[in-house]
Amino acid sequence: MATFEVERQILPILGSPNQGARFYNPELPSSEPFVPGHRTCAGCGPSIQYRMTSKAAGDNTILIGPTGCMYVANSSYLCTPYNVPWAHTQIGSAGSFTAGVAAAYEAMIRKGKWKGPFPNIICEAGDGSASDIGLASISGALYRNHDCLIICYDNEQYANTGIQASSRTPYGGMTTFSPPGPEVPEGKKLFPKDLARMMAAGHPHCYVATASVGYPIDLMNKVRKGLNHRGAAYLMIYTPCQKGFVYETPRSIDLGRMVVECGLYPIWEWNPERRVYDYSFRPQNMRPVSEYLKLQGRFGHLHAEHIATLQQFANDQWKMMGVELPDALIWAADPQNQMHMAAAAEAEEVADTI
Amino acid sequence: MSTKGTRIPDWLKVPFAGITPGPSQDKGQNLFPTGNWRSIRPVYRDKLPPCNNACGTNEKIQGYLDLVKRGKYLDAYALIKEDMPFPSVTGRVCYHPCEQACNRGKYDEAISIRAVERFLGDLGQSLKHDVVEAGPSNGKKVAVVGSGPAGHSAAYQLARIGYKVTILEKSSKAGGLNRGGIPDWVLPQHILDREIERLIELGIAIKTNCEVGKDVSWDDLKRDYDACVLAIGLTEPNGVRAEGEDKEGVLYGLPFLRDIGMGTSKVKLGPRVAVIGGGNTAIDCAREALRQGAIEVTMITVEANTDEMPCSPEDLHDMLEEGVDLWHGRALTAVLGAGKVETLQLHPARFSGAINASPITINRNVPAERFAVDNVIIAVGQRASIDWLPQEFKNERGTIKIDRFGRLGDTNFFAAGDIAQFGSGQPLMVVNAVGDGKRVAFNLDKALRGEPLQPRTVAVDVIMDLNRMNMTYFPHFPRAHQSMLSPVTRRKTQVEVIQGFSEKQASEEAGRCFSCGTCNACDNCYLVCPEPCIARPERSNGLYKILVDYCKGCRVCIEECPTGCLEGVPELDFDTGVVRMDTAFAISPGLHGRQAEELLNLASRPAKDI
Amino acid sequence: MPTAIAGKKKTVRINGCVASAQAAKYADVDVIAAYPIRPYTATMMALAQMVANGELDAEYIVADSEHSQLSISHGASSCGARVFTGSSGVGVQFAYELYSPISGSRMPVQMMIADRTLDPPGDFGSEHTDALSTRDMGWLMGWACDAQEAFDNHLIAYRIGEDPRVLLPQMVCQDGFFVSHITSDVELPDPGQVKEFLPPYKHPYPLDPRRPVSHGPQIMPEQGPPLQLERARAMEECTPVIEQAHEEFAQIFGRRYDPWVEEYMTDGADVVFFLQGGHAVTARFAIQHLREKGIKVGMVRLRTIRPYPTDRVNEVLSKFKVVGVIETNMALGSVSSGGALYAEVCGALYESPHRPLVMSFMAGMGGEAIVLKEFYWMTQKMIDAQKRGKIEKRTHWVGFED
Repeated sequence: MATFEVERQILPILGSPNQGARFYNPELPSSEPFVPGHRTCAGCGPSIQYRMTSKAAGDNTILIGPTGCMYVANSSYLCTPYNVPWAHTQIGSAGSFTAGVAAAYEAMIRKGKWKGPFPNIICEAGDGSASDIGLASISGALYRNHDCLIICYDNEQYANTGIQASSRTPYGGMTTFSPPGPEVPEGKKLFPKDLARMMAAGHPHCYVATASVGYPIDLMNKVRKGLNHRGAAYLMIYTPCQKGFVYETPRSIDLGRMVVECGLYPIWEWNPERRVYDYSFRPQNMRPVSEYLKLQGRFGHLHAEHIATLQQFANDQWKMMGVELPDALIWAADPQNQMHMAAAAEAEEVADTI
Repeated sequence: MSTKGTRIPDWLKVPFAGITPGPSQDKGQNLFPTGNWRSIRPVYRDKLPPCNNACGTNEKIQGYLDLVKRGKYLDAYALIKEDMPFPSVTGRVCYHPCEQACNRGKYDEAISIRAVERFLGDLGQSLKHDVVEAGPSNGKKVAVVGSGPAGHSAAYQLARIGYKVTILEKSSKAGGLNRGGIPDWVLPQHILDREIERLIELGIAIKTNCEVGKDVSWDDLKRDYDACVLAIGLTEPNGVRAEGEDKEGVLYGLPFLRDIGMGTSKVKLGPRVAVIGGGNTAIDCAREALRQGAIEVTMITVEANTDEMPCSPEDLHDMLEEGVDLWHGRALTAVLGAGKVETLQLHPARFSGAINASPITINRNVPAERFAVDNVIIAVGQRASIDWLPQEFKNERGTIKIDRFGRLGDTNFFAAGDIAQFGSGQPLMVVNAVGDGKRVAFNLDKALRGEPLQPRTVAVDVIMDLNRMNMTYFPHFPRAHQSMLSPVTRRKTQVEVIQGFSEKQASEEAGRCFSCGTCNACDNCYLVCPEPCIARPERSNGLYKILVDYCKGCRVCIEECPTGCLEGVPELDFDTGVVRMDTAFAISPGLHGRQAEELLNLASRPAKDI
Repeated sequence: MPTAIAGKKKTVRINGCVASAQAAKYADVDVIAAYPIRPYTATMMALAQMVANGELDAEYIVADSEHSQLSISHGASSCGARVFTGSSGVGVQFAYELYSPISGSRMPVQMMIADRTLDPPGDFGSEHTDALSTRDMGWLMGWACDAQEAFDNHLIAYRIGEDPRVLLPQMVCQDGFFVSHITSDVELPDPGQVKEFLPPYKHPYPLDPRRPVSHGPQIMPEQGPPLQLERARAMEECTPVIEQAHEEFAQIFGRRYDPWVEEYMTDGADVVFFLQGGHAVTARFAIQHLREKGIKVGMVRLRTIRPYPTDRVNEVLSKFKVVGVIETNMALGSVSSGGALYAEVCGALYESPHRPLVMSFMAGMGGEAIVLKEFYWMTQKMIDAQKRGKIEKRTHWVGFED
């Protein structure tokens, strides 16, 4: 049997946008695999992520879209914003369809049926697909180490179906499946599944990382690292949903920074060679969670004790990353203190002390 | 056969299995003009950076800093030269109101703009040919009286327009205040000489030793030239009206500096020198006195503290570092001594009003202080010498009476610089005189061409405020400092005190610029747009374009614009630019049929380069 | 013109599962998606060994479920790879979500089914309900009755499904154990014959970065019907393609199959069995014995149920007095309260001017063999009906009635 060498591209890593004292994004690729005219909501976080991801990946890319916003809103009515091949698959098929695509190209290139460099194969699964119904299929793809990148664009809910709780919805997050009421004042009682760590722990040979739309270059570089990694990679990206989080659309990127700054969305990388977490990413500031919560209608019903609970959750995340906690954050995790901080101004004062 | 006899109407034609051909990168997917969702449209609208606004001649500071950070030094120099004939001079002497206004100063430390300007100015000095050329000749002749900052600037701008310019200078060397008012250790003579040469290279004639009122008359000027700019400055020093001011050893600030500058000074200072006055000239005098051999120099000011002193804090700091003693709240009431100054008599004093130009109240009810000195230098302002000017053009403050365009009545005479101010006695900053000269030159040109003139004071556009910018993108970063000679070394020499920036320093410092209110092609809007509907044919300042057919008005770009040059404008302010849809699911019926055809032709399309 | 080649043909003694694996190998599949469930597992075991031995160059993926098997197949086929997968019993059901998306996106995935009874309770035996439950999902579907036919059906199915006029997935079925695990002689062709018969798979619009297309975008309600109509048309209009494929197969390989139905000893028959799959082998023996006794019985075996050869079934069955449908499947509460085939047969016969009596036999259920005795019993029931001119009841549970 004649076999052909499979050629794999290596994408260069982008420089920091803060070149010395200067804020200036590095030169970005000119190709635009994701074009306008799609029907996502204004300010859509997943869409921002999609744009950055596809731009980082370039033209030699195949995108896989399990059911979710990025399928329903982007490709509605026989339209497509994807200037690279894209395929819909079932919500539970994220990992498996992607595996099929990767396997097809491995076989077709090896057998001389397709000529060209191995494409970047990216699956864009929502958190519903990635954390619930498609979890096994993604785990399967990671375990089998297909050369692909599986992204969970995490808007912390089933948004396309009208805002239902997923296992990534944070504690206290209001959705139509976790509404607050007199008996359940906090809305969602459960804490979110630590999805990315599951993936890193369970598939230590894979490149796994978390990212946020608040840090575009970091995000794009992680996409490229994931694609350059020979084998499967997994990326979980925080992407705010204007409709579900209930915030003002201009804040999409800002929320992406805030969620990291308040510790609710730790940013890290799993190094598959050394088998260790890399916690070196640090946001510019640390903030109490209340700073982040108050921007969003989905947390509007929370009581002081619930905010303190979330603060404790965030503090635990910081600790997991080995970050020393400022006193103000420890203080803010006490419900008594949160009670006093009912006024936004006071919360801001705490922020200033950090 | 269920499908026998079936047919799909044209308007419902769909591509094979719903497989949709990829859209084009330039036009978007061409089916959903989502722009009609929008209520607010993002618009790029550059605002005036505060530095540009504060600059006396409105140098495009943000602009040249941006060019410097891209390494386009020559372009930056050319940009600065539009408003400033001698950046090598102002890069050394300017009191940099731009830096005071700099938004970065409210965040960490202001940009060291002057040092960058000096870097560019010195670059210009080293050029064999300047980047500026004289304009095509319009055959008209203009006289510029005075070669100080205002005259220099006016002559330079007029030559660039195309006038035949003659400078009339009463001293033996051109340069005016730049030469006579600024010590060598701040501005080395050869720097200024080079800038004067540049004027000559522009075809400007300089007649030295030519004093108006003595060598040429008002009527001569009127007859020999099509127009004239009077930039004669304030040349005569003010006194303090103290007894014995005429004694030997009493010197006046400006002539003291001027004679040293012109190389005609015969002064020999004693070891103890007092300087009267709290302004910049007084500081220069005090520091020059050290260099002229004085051992102990004391500055005596009416101002009660350093904050009130009308001087540059940096220069004051450098002076104190050099060892000058500083006394406040005293006025010189008499100079005592037998024919020569020996002792100064001082009384407590304060300004009667809020500003330094207000009358001084002296408390003579307390016993006078006596202070032994060998020389005293009085530096408390200047006045004009305009005896030769027709009376109708003089004002009550002893300067030239002009209209708001800088014009003397309906003549073709214009005045610029200190002589055109209201006579506070305090000279303008060099940069303000330059700006005045520039604006007057433009008005002169307009007058000769019969166009309406523009007021000398600039109408201020929106000045970019720090609150409208996104500070998230700017990490705190310390200002680069120019190295200086140590106080011990410098107080005895004429060597330039402050050193220039290296290329690396200049570039790094320019990199700290926020580009307040002005697009600097950072690409942030381009990167964060969810559509993405921000296009740029190439990455360059201000070349970004919103594809209004698609922009949904989420305003993420506006929020994330670091410089604040993007703003939101209500959609009602526009009446065009949005495609409306004919049907619920495509802009026109049958569009999916065209997709179907496109799909069939897919194989014949050229393959995309991957 | 296709020509018969006698090259490196060889005859081997293998079971149905291995025959299917051999067919996949001869078809030079690119991607194989496996997941274990009895009895089809043996096919994947054989393929795994072929890949391990280097006999077959393919990506062999051990999927995490049948759902994933089908998704992997869907993805791989969308890129232009030839795909082979398979399942049995509840595994077929676990993957159910994917059947319509795969046929709707017109991907010629091939799935091998070795039938197994659906739970509960866990029963390894063959029953056609697993595959039959997906019969309306837009897949080409038919049953083989022995290992050789299974081998042949796989090659023929690829040929039909990948035809640019068709582009539909295929379910190639065989009875669990009766076919899948009983060894018999199978003639393996010369690779050149396969090459001549089966051109390389080429989807017209694959996921190829050089020619970007989007597969399966969301549609408006009014855009659904045209797409469904086109899928229906593909299913209906593949009839000539199926016939041509069988014809060329016969010319190249020398084995001729009627693509739709096999008639066995139907000459002059009054009553016939109508069935699918492996029980036909026993039926043939039973019919031979009964014919020796002078009983005019025959058999009509359905080879392709999707697309369903309505006119052909009508034409063939109209010749007889009584048709006894052997279901081997469950359709609880259906038309006959028995199996799904009864309605298919009756539907085909409705417009016939000479409608035979139709009765349904629940036989071979749970993987039980239909023994000769039971064929005789069923024949008697048909003869009784013929005499009476009327059926006693629509469905008989064989072995549970007198």
